[in-house]
Amino acid sequence: MRRRPGIGGLQNAATARDQYRLLGENVAKIRTDLMKEQLATFRSQLEEFARKHKNDIRKNPAFRSQFHEMCAKVGVDPLASNKGFWAELLGIGDFYYELGVQIVDICLATRPHNGGLINLQELCNVLRQRRKSDRGAVSEDDCLRAISKLKAQGFVTVDEVERQFSWTSGRAIDALDTLLDEGLAMIDDGHRDGRRRYWFPCVSSIATSVADI
Amino acid sequence: MQKLGDFKLPHFFNYPPYFTLQPVRDTRNKQVQLWKELILDYCRTQKIFVVGLEEDFPLFSNPVVERSLSHEAREAFLSALVSEGRAEWLDKGHRKCLILWHRIQEWADIILSFVKDNGLEDSVMTVEEIRSGTESRGTELHGIDRTILIRALRLLEQKGKLAIFKGTSTDDEGVKFSL
Repeated sequence: MRRRPGIGGLQNAATARDQYRLLGENVAKIRTDLMKEQLATFRSQLEEFARKHKNDIRKNPAFRSQFHEMCAKVGVDPLASNKGFWAELLGIGDFYYELGVQIVDICLATRPHNGGLINLQELCNVLRQRRKSDRGAVSEDDCLRAISKLKAQGFVTVDEVERQFSWTSGRAIDALDTLLDEGLAMIDDGHRDGRRRYWFPCVSSIATSVADI
Repeated sequence: MQKLGDFKLPHFFNYPPYFTLQPVRDTRNKQVQLWKELILDYCRTQKIFVVGLEEDFPLFSNPVVERSLSHEAREAFLSALVSEGRAEWLDKGHRKCLILWHRIQEWADIILSFVKDNGLEDSVMTVEEIRSGTESRGTELHGIDRTILIRALRLLEQKGKLAIFKGTSTDDEGVKFSL
């Protein structure tokens, strides 16, 4: 566009700038919309994929690991909650929760031998033995995932338990005191907030030894 | 591993629940055992003979995990050492505790070795010389707590290995060896 001198010329330049700006905004918006659409499409394709390959995901650890990677790439965490689409479709939350419980169980059983620290490979071997038949193979990757889902800090308060399970205070305390009596937990009354904490030594040691890998 | 000066602290020292007296018997037993060993080890390596319950004994708190032992817990662990003959209360109020990382008998044996090693079989020494004289340097006797030293010497006196006699003031108590 040829620049013309005088006021008229200035007005034309201003209009041109506005038009370019508008175009720029539109392009940005289109780009964002496209991306959103791509993600939405990817997500629904992922869900479709999960539906189709449900059995493979449950039974094959290598497959399962790659599936987790794909999910991570689009910001999907199938383990995020025990409710909702992923949990219902795959029962995958339950799978890891169950795995977590078994891992704690094994650690407790081996504690007299190893003082509460077990190496990841050995843990997986014992786990595989226990799960032999129908439950499907378990990889070290699975163990790591399950372990990271256990309370990372290694302790809980009564409030947290109440909230997590929607229990009354009495029920939460009973449950925690039972674990205490069985030697699975230790109390900690030393925090400055004055709230009693229940620590689970087994969990903390796994977390520490795994972190060293 | 966390250190207190040169001393390597065990892992349990960084685990908060160990600073709370555990109510469950088996857990408590394990806790007491760990603390007994830690206290003895630390006192032995740092040559600490007396622990004051109301003083800033480094093992009583861990700033890293923001926990301190309650008075009840301190008393519980030290009492366990006393029951085992590894410590003695110095007062009825249980405020000060003498730590016997060597039992009195063990100290007596150390004194006997010291006498033999230095050819002091028929000599006379003051109590103070035994614990801070030139011969004592580099040995376990150097800097030993006076109370413990006198107890060990009395034990040896009962066995006829030496005779303790008073000088002009308490600082001058002397020992004649007769091994």
